[in-house]
Amino acid sequence: MVGSPVQLIAIPLLAAFLMPLLGKAWKELVRLTPGVVLLYLLYLSVDLLSYTIGHGRVVEVIAGWTPPWGINLVFSPFSGFLATLMLFMGLLVWIYSYRFQPFEDYDDYEPTLKYYLLLMMLITASVGVVLTGDIFNLFVFIEILGITAYGLTAYYRGRDGAEASFKYLFIGSLSSTFLLLAIMIIYSQLGTLNMADIAVRAHELKPVYKISALVLFLVAFGIEAEMFPLNGWAPDAYSQAPAPVGAAFAGIVVKAGLYTVIRLIYTLFDVGGTYEFLIVMGLITMIIAEFAAFSQARLKRMLAYSSIGQMGLVLVAFGIGKEEGVYAALFLMFNHAIIKSLLFMSGSYLVYKSKNKYISELNGIGKMLPVTSFLFALGAFAIVGFPPFAGFWSKLAVLTAAADSGMILIIALILSISLIEVVYYLRVVNRIYFVKRDTDLEITKPTPQAMLSMLVLGAIILVVGFYPDVITGILHKASATLLDKGSYINDVLSLSQTIN
Amino acid sequence: MDLGNNLDLLTVTFYGTAIALVLIGLYAALVKRSLIKVVIGLSIVDSGIHLLLVSIGYLKNGTAPIFSPAVIDKNPTMVDPVPQALVLTAIVIGFAVTAVALALVIRLYRHHKTVNIDEIKNLKW
Amino acid sequence: MNIIHITLGILLGGAVLTYFANKISGIVRDLVFISSIVVAAVLFFIKMTPDTVATFNLGGITLALGMNHFGLLFSIIILGLAVLAGFYSLPYMKGKDNLGFFYMNYLLSIFGMMGIVMAKDLVTFFIFWEIMTWSSYLIVVYNGNNANKIGIKYIVFSALGAYSMLMAIVMVYSQLHSFAIADLAAGFTTMPAGYQIAIALLLMTGFAVKAAMMPLHVWAPDAYSNSPMSYTAMFSGALSKMGVYGLVIVFVTMVSHLPQNIWIRETIAWLGAITAVMGTLYAIFQDDAKRLLAYSSIAQLGYIITGVAIGTSEAMIAALMLAVLHGIFKANLFMVVGAVERQAGTTDLTVLTGLIRKMPWTFLSALIAVIALAGVPPLAGFVGKWMLYESLITNSNYILVIVIFFSSTAAFLYAYKILYGIFLGQEEPEYKDVKEAPALMVIPMLILSTLLLFLGTFPGYLFKYIDNALVVMGYPVSQNKWWEMSAIFNDWGNKVNLDLVAYAVLTVFITIAVILFYRWKNTRYVTTKDLSSCGEMPKDDENYSFKLDFYKPFERAISPLLKYKISKYYDEFADGMEAFFDWTRRIYNGNAQTYAIYVVTFLVILLLIANNIFSA
Repeated sequence: MVGSPVQLIAIPLLAAFLMPLLGKAWKELVRLTPGVVLLYLLYLSVDLLSYTIGHGRVVEVIAGWTPPWGINLVFSPFSGFLATLMLFMGLLVWIYSYRFQPFEDYDDYEPTLKYYLLLMMLITASVGVVLTGDIFNLFVFIEILGITAYGLTAYYRGRDGAEASFKYLFIGSLSSTFLLLAIMIIYSQLGTLNMADIAVRAHELKPVYKISALVLFLVAFGIEAEMFPLNGWAPDAYSQAPAPVGAAFAGIVVKAGLYTVIRLIYTLFDVGGTYEFLIVMGLITMIIAEFAAFSQARLKRMLAYSSIGQMGLVLVAFGIGKEEGVYAALFLMFNHAIIKSLLFMSGSYLVYKSKNKYISELNGIGKMLPVTSFLFALGAFAIVGFPPFAGFWSKLAVLTAAADSGMILIIALILSISLIEVVYYLRVVNRIYFVKRDTDLEITKPTPQAMLSMLVLGAIILVVGFYPDVITGILHKASATLLDKGSYINDVLSLSQTIN
Repeated sequence: MDLGNNLDLLTVTFYGTAIALVLIGLYAALVKRSLIKVVIGLSIVDSGIHLLLVSIGYLKNGTAPIFSPAVIDKNPTMVDPVPQALVLTAIVIGFAVTAVALALVIRLYRHHKTVNIDEIKNLKW
Repeated sequence: MNIIHITLGILLGGAVLTYFANKISGIVRDLVFISSIVVAAVLFFIKMTPDTVATFNLGGITLALGMNHFGLLFSIIILGLAVLAGFYSLPYMKGKDNLGFFYMNYLLSIFGMMGIVMAKDLVTFFIFWEIMTWSSYLIVVYNGNNANKIGIKYIVFSALGAYSMLMAIVMVYSQLHSFAIADLAAGFTTMPAGYQIAIALLLMTGFAVKAAMMPLHVWAPDAYSNSPMSYTAMFSGALSKMGVYGLVIVFVTMVSHLPQNIWIRETIAWLGAITAVMGTLYAIFQDDAKRLLAYSSIAQLGYIITGVAIGTSEAMIAALMLAVLHGIFKANLFMVVGAVERQAGTTDLTVLTGLIRKMPWTFLSALIAVIALAGVPPLAGFVGKWMLYESLITNSNYILVIVIFFSSTAAFLYAYKILYGIFLGQEEPEYKDVKEAPALMVIPMLILSTLLLFLGTFPGYLFKYIDNALVVMGYPVSQNKWWEMSAIFNDWGNKVNLDLVAYAVLTVFITIAVILFYRWKNTRYVTTKDLSSCGEMPKDDENYSFKLDFYKPFERAISPLLKYKISKYYDEFADGMEAFFDWTRRIYNGNAQTYAIYVVTFLVILLLIANNIFSA
């Protein structure tokens, strides 16, 4: 083990605040620092992950205050897996956005600095969300995540970014209000903010407090996890944010949002009915989002709705519960991070010069941007779950998990919705390859580094598709960890493996 | 802290004011059409929540939570320091969010020449 | 590493290599393409022995591939057609765009089909099924004609079928905790009754789509006629047989154990028969040779489905016989039409005319294939149809026999139409310069025609494979090794010697031919001027062979039947759904306050009902 979990948060925070200074010395440092930092963090995180898989969770206590009083970070195979995934996606997003042309179009260097600073903070906050073991700390990270995300959504001046960002902010502040209320209820009743401690003592709560705290939490976290009807902000934010940020939203931010819901239901509260709630809300989210995606005229909006739909499916999978369900859900999250990011990254180059980003402007672009188009098509095939691409295995996992629990109607529903997905994705692929070009929009070739990150994602889709075992081991481990609530509580409160 | 046993006037006032603030804020945020008023409404909701949070930690006759013999010897009942710390953090966050919101409102006004939320609907469906 | 790895590896690797070889040069690409098919096919047939098994452990699931005689029968169709259509492709596709892409998908779909016939468990089956589906989809839209209509129609039906299948697969898993087909066959009866029926019907839906059974056939005419003909030969000849392959398995291992056995069999048999009749009728009125053949494929698959559904050992033999033969003659005919398209530039039967002298070999091949299709002795189609009638009669399905007999007779109309439309009639100056297709296209066609002649004369060679295949499926070994005599016994103990019947009919035809030949030995080449023209002077540039509305009176007679186009209902349904989807997304009305109101309302509602849905 080369480092400790706290470095995953402290180093990027430090780097983010140092960046303006570094930029004064040499402007290129602003662009380079995030990459170097993320690379190091990824190394750290992978190392920690491999350690925890062998030795169990690592619990880190901040500033010597042991749980349940102080703030602690928990790096388990579950949270560690998500953190590693986020850092990896963050690194790819950084590679993609390195000298991304729209960013370079600004005359001064100020916007570049802001972008990288916000991106760093976004990734840090997301990692913080999954690692923290303290509920108020979680609130703080969610807020940091929110503020940076608002900023990044509104990054482009010319577009409707501000509108999207305002909607995001509006709903986001409601979320933080509810979250704070819920935390308040918990604290007023239990006098603790430590998640493990809350989990132990949740039974002391009076039902009325427990239920209202649960509902407030669910709504607050449901907003972050894009649950219907709390997701009005999501399609706008995804579609207006710059392409790499869209990829980061799909690959990083929404994963943090999902994590909160899952931690709440799987660890914090042991309340009957939450799993069913997840299934029902997940199905509704999925259905509405896929319906909405079906007739979108704009590419990024379609991808955004599709992303929401996938999140619905993840919620369903988590709602199935048991090892199979969690495994399937984690697999879906992984695939969604990889595939949807690839779709955002490649899709943005396909509609690069277009003002409205209409899907109809993609006609015949396959000949002009062969590799980008191929990667987009690969992503489309993977996300609808055609074998032998990555998406198939997660879809199969969800369905077998549901079948194991005898949820036949849910399987039928999921498959019917998949049919819709097949249609709208293949309509886009058809336009790219099999419809004649009828616009005179110019095209822009991706930068080599953007191409690199897309190729990496494409390669992962193929590798996982042909040989899913590269990922299934860690997924099984992570899901088993999440389900073992007792050992979570034990490890945190008894500090069996702590680093001070 | 149990609501039932400690319902003195001060507590009721705190809680009542806090709830009133939240409701007023929500009303402004959800009903008023001006972006500025929406932002103000959100801030008021925040204030209400903060007040609520501080009230939880409040103890009658409690002192400031400072761990020094001078204070503790005089009066061993301290107010709970944690809610105050939380509120301080939350206020900072609320401030940041409001700042971002106002910046966005300015941007939206430049773009749309209006702050009417009903007219800022370029992104829909 | 055994032959299964090698075959699949060559096909998959060949697909990828072909795509990249395209960047080097056309010849390298063609070489890689054709050699991977030929090598895979040759190695497969030399090395493959039943009971070869290969397993892969992926994602916690054991994927098993193996071979038995049943799969072998279908592998013969797949690889045989793949090789012939592969050679045919080379000149046919020459000069078209994106050939690397086309050949890649061509190989991938063969890869998929081979995987299907070797799959020993349901997940493997599904994986290869999907690979076959999307690779064939990419070829259907390859031409770029109306991709978003034709392609989407194909993929929607395919995905509908595939997802029904997937649903059945996970249902099986939920009951048996195994994906193995053998376990399914063994454990089928232990499942709850509802599951049994649901699984059988869902699987059947999946296969019926590929076999283009009514009412799931809507995609087929467009998809068949829109793909390049060199692929349609495979598509109709082999790929649609994957549906038959699956149906046989479903009927043998599942339906036969169901209490509702008879009803399901009757229903599917009737659907097959109706498919046959409607397909035939539509085929008759097509003016485009490709569409005509597409509808004819649907009709022919109808017979096969009927045979499979009846499921007696005789009916199965008939169905499999017809499946193999249909693969051969329909591939042959699509190749003929492709050759005509390449040489004459069109497949419109109202425009084409008199190519017999320009493309004699193609004509010969078409003639044989058409005779086989119509089921006239001594060609192979006759044997299959005779056996189908026999089995239906012995099974007392008299009405079904009449229906199928009607459709099979009506098939003459379109069979004649395609022959006459393209090759016979007056020669037009427009087609003066049409030449015979290149040898690489003609030879595969002639090989298929020869095969038809051979199998018509010696159906026993085919029976042997079919019999072996059916033994695997649990049918008893046929008595008396009757394939050697090419005769069948019916229930009344009559022995019908098929060869004898075939030769008797052949003799009659030859006699007539000889008489005709000698009586009018002064035959001469008839020109346009020889037509009776009621005093008008015929001109060269006027077409006197009237092929427009060829069967108009007949069409008028049965037009009430054709009024109900199923596709119309599907279109209306699709439009309705789209409108509904469009309406749904208006929830997202763009107003931030509305979204906030959703959030608050949701919170309030949840708080109010929380006690009912959550239990602390």
